[in-house]
Formats: sequence, structure tokens, C-alpha cells
Amino acid sequence: MAQSTSLTAASPFPKGSLTVKFFFYTALFYLLASMVLGLIVALKSVNPDFLTGSRFFQEYFQYGRLRPVHVNTAVIGWMTTMFFGITLYGVPVLCKTQLYSEKVGLFTAAYWNLNYIVGAGSILAGYQTGVEYGEMPLLFDIGVVICVALTLWNLFMTAVHRKERVLYVSLWYWIASVMFLAIVYIVGNIPAGWAGPGSAQMNYQYFYMHNIIGLWITPVGVGTLYYLLPKLTQRPIYSHKLSLIGFWTIAAFYVWNGPHHLINGPIPFWLMKAGIIPSLLLLIPVWSVLANVVGTMKGVWYKVSQNISLKFLMTGTLFYGLACIQGPFQSLMGPHAILHFTYWTVGHAHMPLFAGFSLIQFSAFYYILPRVAYRHIYSRALMNWHYWLSVLGFVIFAFAMWTAGIIQGFEWMDGKQLGASFVEMMESLHIFLISRAVGGTMMFLGQVFFVWNVFKTVTAGRHVTADDEIFMKTS
Amino acid sequence: MANDAEKNPGILLIGAALLVMMGVIGTLVLPYFDEGVTTPTQTAKLKNYPTDSAEARGRHVYIREGCNYCHSQQVRPVRADSKLGPVSLPGDYYYDQPVVTGTIRTGPDLMWVGQRYSADWQHAHLLNPQKIGGAGSIMPKYTFLSKQDRDDLVAYLLSLKPAPQNKD
Repeated sequence: MAQSTSLTAASPFPKGSLTVKFFFYTALFYLLASMVLGLIVALKSVNPDFLTGSRFFQEYFQYGRLRPVHVNTAVIGWMTTMFFGITLYGVPVLCKTQLYSEKVGLFTAAYWNLNYIVGAGSILAGYQTGVEYGEMPLLFDIGVVICVALTLWNLFMTAVHRKERVLYVSLWYWIASVMFLAIVYIVGNIPAGWAGPGSAQMNYQYFYMHNIIGLWITPVGVGTLYYLLPKLTQRPIYSHKLSLIGFWTIAAFYVWNGPHHLINGPIPFWLMKAGIIPSLLLLIPVWSVLANVVGTMKGVWYKVSQNISLKFLMTGTLFYGLACIQGPFQSLMGPHAILHFTYWTVGHAHMPLFAGFSLIQFSAFYYILPRVAYRHIYSRALMNWHYWLSVLGFVIFAFAMWTAGIIQGFEWMDGKQLGASFVEMMESLHIFLISRAVGGTMMFLGQVFFVWNVFKTVTAGRHVTADDEIFMKTS
Repeated sequence: MANDAEKNPGILLIGAALLVMMGVIGTLVLPYFDEGVTTPTQTAKLKNYPTDSAEARGRHVYIREGCNYCHSQQVRPVRADSKLGPVSLPGDYYYDQPVVTGTIRTGPDLMWVGQRYSADWQHAHLLNPQKIGGAGSIMPKYTFLSKQDRDDLVAYLLSLKPAPQNKD
């Protein structure tokens, strides 16, 4: 295919894949669901009698069952579904071809959703495995692996049959991430719970818990960042080399980080060190990404005020950077002794997942939706509401959790670990739990504006005209 | 600009997979060769519940209801944990499948809870945590558990204690 200048409106390929739309729209459902579940969990922390009106609610909406469903719906439901949509859109575009098999794509999408919904339901019904983050029973783990394998195959074959010779760096990140997801998911879910002595199993749990974020959400999110950045700023990436350094160091260092969750814990000392050192080395990939972003943005920062999609992207990158400064800090033995087991963790865990990569995903959603639905985004004002409620809500949420965590950590150092003194400390944290619920409500409202905006875009948005740049450019 | 290896998605995938598998081997396989991990302690033997004992069933309830999302089971050699009892060792978890160390202490640590409270206290607390633990407690009431489940759960909780020190 010739360069974009010779393309006419009559050949608007390879946009508008049905598979992409399937993943995109269902991801929105999980986004709202995870938010509602998170909000219920937050309110139950404020008032343990919330939503315990009948025996049914008491049992199936119990904190210990809702929390894992909230986590899984956010990570597997919303983020993974969304990232599948992004990669299935982006890989064909960057390869200047069609998705290798649309049929396989649609089958994957349908099976994926069915598998997750029933899997989440089975956690609520009391069939959770006890492996944190990997609670879904084995049957559904296998379903996830099948879907990931199908997606990997589809993307890889698309890359093999590409019309563009050079592989842009996003393709590396994306295709490799789907493979990482397969490895991480199999290693983290299949043996976890039965293979070997308990201490060895702790590693499986923390391997999965850390690397579903480190080796799946992060690299696929960074790939999305590298895809969107040149599009939204109309500038090439500052340094190809830096992006490659980022890619290979992510693959080399992130995977070692499981044991840093068990610092001071019941694992051999050498294993702790094997987790701490790569945690510090993580600064290399993170800063190479940030340096690349800053280099690319030099001179065009003003565009952030004009393009809301870019505003989402830059804010997401900022929070990703902050999360990755927190990470190595927490992995040092001193800070870890104070911060581990506290609410600090909750604030930290939400930063890369919500404020970092979810914001990047929102940016991608706003960028890609007009290109698959052939409609312009319905309302800029709603986009802004979505942005500000999400960001401010998260900031309130996170600072409440971080502050509460630091208080907890130091109170425990003063001996308030048990009995009445523990409860007394809990009472002093009540205000922070309320703040969390307030921040969480704002985050939820932001997503309601988002989903409403998407609904209006698809049903009543202005049609994309034939001479629009969306049609004129293929990659 | 780009060299040939960069144009081949196959080479890319194999290279990345090798790097990741190194980490998998380093953090997941090597611990199997560490004696501290692979030797059960006396405490672990105490917690090696026979199948279908009340404790084993109680542990199942513990996992089913997600108790591990608020209660850790792990005492660290740090000042914050100094009141909790003996520091937990890798071998203490030898028979735990899956292991429920937990990641947060929304409620207190339960590693050695069995030596702190009686069965009656545990029952009363499960039914009304606010009445027994204090008004500030945010633990839900477990009134929906069947008598059998509650008995099992309490049996499990009471079994969480260090093995008696016998010098032989």
C-alpha cells in the first residue's frame, strides 16, 4: 500500500474492526462494575453494616468476597479487556494491514467475556482459591489462558503478514506483553495453591501479584503511550534507542520483583535481596520512558491544554512515574518495615492501575473510538468532567490512604498491634476511610460521565466526514 | 536505523521470553533448593491438619470468606511486630496450601491468635465484633455462617499457635 497521501476516503482500512468494538464496549461495563464494587468495599470499611440487610447480601456481598471481585474486575475485566481492544486495533494499524483473523478475534472476545463473568460470579459464590489477585478457580484460569493464547496468535500472525517492514516500538511492547501475560498468568495461577512448600508458594502469589502489573499492564501501557504520543503531538518519538532500552530492561528486571513484597518476611534472606536489587534497577526503564516522553514533549507542552486526550496521557504518565518512585522506595527494608500491611499499600496499588494506566487507556479510548465508530466524541465538556473527577478523586483517595498508612505504621511501632489499642487506632483512621469513600465516589462519577459520553458518541455523535484526517491517515 | 533483529517479531519474542524465564527460575525455582523453605518446623507439623478435620474445614471457610483480605498471618522481625509473638519462619508454612499470609492488616495479625483468645470469645466476636472488639471495629458480623462453619472456623483459629518448645 502506498503512503497515506495517496489514500482516498474510499479505502478507510484497516479501521472499524468489530472485535475492537466488542472489547472496547465490554471493557466499559467492567470499568463501571469495578468502580461500583470498589465503592461498596470502601463504604463497608466505613460502616461494616452497609448492605447487610438480608442474609443474601450478608453472604454474597460480604467484604471478603467483594474485594477479590473488585480487584479482578479492575485488572482482568477492565484493564485487560481494554488493552486487548487497544492492541487488536493498534497492531493492524501499525502493520498497515487487517487483523489476521476477525473470526478468531470475535470468538476470543465472546469467550473472554463469558469466562470472566462466570469466573467472577464463582468468587462471589464462595469458590475463591485463596491466592490473592488470582482468586478465580482453575477452570476459568484455563479459559483466560486460552483467550490470551488466541490473541497472541492473532497479533503475531498479523505482524508476520505485515505490509510495513519496520516494526514500530509499540509493536514490540504490545506483542511481547501479550506473551508475558500468558507466562505470568500460567505461572501465577496454575501452580499457585499446591506446588511445593508454603514459602515457595508465597513466591508464586507475589510473582503473580506484582507481575500482572509489571509485565502485563506496564509494558502494554507503555506501548500504548508510545503509540499515542506521536499521534497526539504530531511529532516523532524523541529517541528510538531509549524506547528499546526501556523495553529490554522491563523484560529483564520487572520479573524479579515478587519477593520484594516479602521483605522481612518468612523467606530466605538471599531471596529478599534478589527482589530488592531489581526493584532499584527498575528506575532505569521507568526513567528511560519518562525521559523519552519529556524529550518528545519539549516545545509542544502547550498542546496539553488543547487536547484532552493528551492531557489524560500526560497525567497518566506522571502518575506512572510517581508510582515507580514509590515502588523502589517501599522495597527498601526500613520503609518496608513501616509501610507494609498498612493502608499505604492500597494507595500505592491504585496509583499505577487507576491513575497511571487507566488514564492512558482513557486517552486511547478517546483517540480510537472515532476511528472505529466513525463518530466524533460527543462532548468535550464531559471529557473534562471525566478528567477532573478522576484525577481529583484519585488524589483525595490516595492521600487519605497514604496518610492513614503512615499513621498505622508508626502506631504499630508504638505497640498498638493488638486488642483494644488496635481498635482505638482504627477509630482515629475513620476520617481517612470516609475520605477514601469520598474520593472513590468522585472517581466513580467521573466514569459515569465517561460512559455516558461514549454512549452519546456512538448514538448521536457527529459523523466523521470522508475528508477527515481519521480517514486520510492509516498509521 | 533499525537492524535486522529489530524487524523480526520471532527473535523479539524469544529474547523477551528468555529474560522473563530467568526471573521465573531465580525467584520461583531456586527457593526449592533452600533448606529453610523445604524443612517443616514443629509449628508447621502442628498445622498439618488431617483432611476433613475441623481445622482443615475451618481453613476452607477462612479462605472462602476472604478473611485473609484483612488479616495477615506473618510476624516479621521488626519493631512494629514485637508484641505479636515469635517471628514466623519459612518452614512454618510448609504444609499451607494455599498459603494465606495476607498483604494488609485492616484487622490484627492472626499468626498466633490461637494463644490469645478462647473458643467462646471467638464465637461471640464472629457474631458481633463491635460488641466484643469495640465500637470502632469495622469487621463484618458473620451471623450468616452456619453453626458448623463457625465451629470449624473457630477450631482453625484456635490451632494458630506456636508449637510448645521441647528440647530433646
